[in-house]
Amino acid sequence: MSQPLLKRIDAPFEIFQIDLFSATDDQLESLSHELGIALSLDEMKRIREHFEGKGRLPTDVELQSIGQAWSEHCCYKSSKVFLKEFITGIDNRDVLLRGDAGVMRFDDKHAYALRIESHNHPSAVEPYGGAATGIGGIIRDVLCMGAQPIALIDPLFFGPLEIKHENIPVGIKHPKYLFSGVVAGIRDYGNRVGIPTVSGGVWFDDGYVGNCLVNVGCVGIAKIEELKKNSVGGADETLILVGGRTGRDGIHGVTFASAVLTEKSDEESRGAVQLGDPIMKEPLIHAVLEANRDGLISGMKDLGGGGLSCVVGEIALSGGCGAIVDLDKVPLKESGLAPWEIWVSESQERMMLSVKEDDADKVLEIFSLYDVPATKVGHTIQERTVTLIFNGVKVFEMDLEFLTSGPEYCRPCNIDSVSSDIEEAYPEELERYDVEILDMLSSINVCSREWVIRQYDHEVRGGTVIKPLQGLPGHSTHGDAAVLKPVEDSAKGLALSVSSNPYAVAIDPYRGSMMIIDEVCRNLASVGARPHSLTDCLNFGNPEKPEVLGMFREAVRGIGEAAAHLDLPIPSGNVSFYNEAPTGTVLPTPVVLGCGIVEDICRCITSDLKREGSDIYLIGRTQDAMAGTQYFMRNNGRSAKVPEVDLEVLSQSINFLIDNIEKDKILSCHDISEGGIATALCEMAVGGSMGAEIDLSTFDIGLRSDVKLFSESPTRWLVEVEHGTKLEPPAGVELTKIGSVGESSVMIYDGEEILFEQTVAEIECRWSMKLWEIMG
Amino acid sequence: MKREEIRICVLRIEGTNCEQETFDSFNRLGASPEIVHLKQLTGKSSENRKRDLLDYQMLMIPGGFSSGDYVRAGAIFAARIKSALEDQLRSFVERGSPVLGICNGFQVLVETGLLPGIDEIMSPVPRAVLGTNDSNRFECRPTYLVNENEGRCLFTALLPKKKVVMFPSAHAEGKLMFPSDEEEKIVSLLDDEDMVVFRYTDSIGNYADYPWCPNGSVDGIAGICNSIGNVLGLMPHPERAFFNFLSPEWTRRGGPNEFGDGWAIFESAIQYIEKKW
Repeated sequence: MSQPLLKRIDAPFEIFQIDLFSATDDQLESLSHELGIALSLDEMKRIREHFEGKGRLPTDVELQSIGQAWSEHCCYKSSKVFLKEFITGIDNRDVLLRGDAGVMRFDDKHAYALRIESHNHPSAVEPYGGAATGIGGIIRDVLCMGAQPIALIDPLFFGPLEIKHENIPVGIKHPKYLFSGVVAGIRDYGNRVGIPTVSGGVWFDDGYVGNCLVNVGCVGIAKIEELKKNSVGGADETLILVGGRTGRDGIHGVTFASAVLTEKSDEESRGAVQLGDPIMKEPLIHAVLEANRDGLISGMKDLGGGGLSCVVGEIALSGGCGAIVDLDKVPLKESGLAPWEIWVSESQERMMLSVKEDDADKVLEIFSLYDVPATKVGHTIQERTVTLIFNGVKVFEMDLEFLTSGPEYCRPCNIDSVSSDIEEAYPEELERYDVEILDMLSSINVCSREWVIRQYDHEVRGGTVIKPLQGLPGHSTHGDAAVLKPVEDSAKGLALSVSSNPYAVAIDPYRGSMMIIDEVCRNLASVGARPHSLTDCLNFGNPEKPEVLGMFREAVRGIGEAAAHLDLPIPSGNVSFYNEAPTGTVLPTPVVLGCGIVEDICRCITSDLKREGSDIYLIGRTQDAMAGTQYFMRNNGRSAKVPEVDLEVLSQSINFLIDNIEKDKILSCHDISEGGIATALCEMAVGGSMGAEIDLSTFDIGLRSDVKLFSESPTRWLVEVEHGTKLEPPAGVELTKIGSVGESSVMIYDGEEILFEQTVAEIECRWSMKLWEIMG
Repeated sequence: MKREEIRICVLRIEGTNCEQETFDSFNRLGASPEIVHLKQLTGKSSENRKRDLLDYQMLMIPGGFSSGDYVRAGAIFAARIKSALEDQLRSFVERGSPVLGICNGFQVLVETGLLPGIDEIMSPVPRAVLGTNDSNRFECRPTYLVNENEGRCLFTALLPKKKVVMFPSAHAEGKLMFPSDEEEKIVSLLDDEDMVVFRYTDSIGNYADYPWCPNGSVDGIAGICNSIGNVLGLMPHPERAFFNFLSPEWTRRGGPNEFGDGWAIFESAIQYIEKKW
């Protein structure tokens, strides 16, 4: 380190005192850069003031620690103001806890924990390890609430798979390489750790070439009486660090995640990507849950971003305490780590448990059975400070109030972000849409995801009642939501679905985000589940750019208003900023994971057509608002009109649909999303290996045929009912009989005109082969 | 022997991950399963946790990725079992106690030499291997199996002969192989000796290749038993088909709350033990 401000302290190991007092502004800035802590000048000055008040200089360990705690990743300094305004206030009596994961009531005795977060930057640099450790981290977030993880959900975003190598800038990896590495990482970690991956999604767009997005969600189940807060139980408790050893992998992961990617990220930041070990995680889960079941744990917390430096302060302070930690007790992967490295390392598979002193040895015994390292590293104290001792030397002493009082900004934000100057242009109307529909079905954003889904174990734990692929053996199609049966002696089900719509959000972040909430709710309703809670991961660019932050604010407003209207709490979530690379900013990408409750899993339905001769109905109204649709994007259509979600109609429609599903009146149901009615109908046909005949003139007379075929207007479903069954919708809900289930062809008419006629075999071939062809 | 007295050792090490649903399968039938860490059988645990394999009536090796499957699927788990428990395991099988290995458990049984177990309890070295799938990747898909057994295997006693069942598969290494120069001979021997228990088929029971057979296994074999018929290994997961509502087709066929195809495997074992002791 070349900094003249660093003065080595006389100790038998490497430790420096940092002379903030005499530093110029320039020196403060370069210090922040050289230490890799990514703090601004103002933040550095605030730190200086604090230590001037103390009358002493900080050590490098202290400064590093503040760098972690005050990073965007850890303290949400740019986003908090909006999250508070629109999201965190949504509450109801089913919200039980908000911690590393949110916890919702499932039934009288059980709760489920949910969380989704991003692992974007690591995955862009090292896709296999980045994705794998993303899974590892989200599992611990759920586990530390005292919950058994039961499902993983993985929404992924990449550049176009068939992009030419010469069109990719230096330092950026090909989307095919990233996609294949990320899927392999999720597969090898998720499958080994034994948690089923039941839902997800893959989106492709030029906007993700430089910075792919890898979001990971996890849901767990717990007995309410065994739930834990992420806080210590009081003073004089023993802090036990369990799980993996600490090494140099994953140093500065959070600060890396709080800056934009550059050409050099690959070589400079690979060390910020942690190394995952599912075979340490698997027994760790067992040991933690067993110790918790035995009542031996007061509180626990996962070591994620910032490592020990974040976890110790946070778990102690939230229990109203402080802590003293012996850094040299931390088990290491290699010797010679400096104290600051041990303190901030994000090495994987680690958790911190706070236990009563008398229980500590019982906890160690359990971990020893499972061969999982567990080490007493410190204890809690009354005073709200954290002190670190290393080889007998005090290397760190900080007030927790200061350490955890990261800045909160109200950065400039341009909310006039809807581009109203787009001149509308529709693609030319055609007589027949056979070619367009078949091409759409085999397009990368619509085609079957079987290549991905079959690589993930979606059945381990033996509770996946409605699976991600549904239908006749050998003819499976996409389901809208997966349903798990998490409690052995209860018929209740937990439905999961994830949704995003970056294309609509990019055009109109407010309406686009409402569309996402609409989609996740209609997906849940499709299988018969009542939406119950949400968790979100908000992936955006650099928040210091007013237009990016404006988009963010509008997206948060859309999500918040929709969720509040539908009484859907969002008890956890994650914000990922700085998703930028030399190629530009990613599409604004809010991702929402929805959880729904099914009263009796035996009433659930799937999307595959069931019976020849039954009637097909359309629920909902089709709007002529084509902005962000697959059809417009494929055919150079232009529009700024993102459809509006009528939240009242959405509520009514969901109730209407679920009431009828619960009465066994619906044979199959599929929500209408990417690719409109045309795609939805074809997918249903593939799953049942049955044809269908529908007539678009039965509804919304006056719309163009292509709008009716391809509109992605919200709050719509196709449902199949026994021929002649009467459905009675409430006043606000439009219901139209549009056709019937047929033999072996799908036929779409608009009055007298036939728009599309193809065999199901041809449709299936076009829809299901694409990813296999590209990925092999 | 009374059902609730039947003790089943559901054995695990790090990376075993199907023990809970396997435990549940026996528990639902009224037997007394127990999830036991290998260290509890080998004396390497605290006193109150120590267990003796011979106190159990059945040994169950569940699916998962024991020890990461990093060397070869099941090899590490098998080596650890054999190095500490070879004699007990031999006596356990000799006295007729059922041993079931599902997925990773099948791999472990092959690696220990308990399977194929042609005219021997346990071979000193493995005589078969479950190799990497022909697709070279992990495959999670519903698989259909025909019950080929004529009566030797105790686990299929309640399953009608030639019945087609659906047990899902989820593995990367499920391709059963024998030494290539003897492969044909061994397969016909297994057929002659009624040691082939399941073969992969399509959904209506015709022998079929990929994707119906997810791994390229020799002659489409999905599961085999030893000469005595009390050790069964199979790649697909009967515990994931215990109830109809776990089938991929239940919303088409109905009867979600009825027992699924997998039930017969567990119930057959329990009834066998009830009668034998």
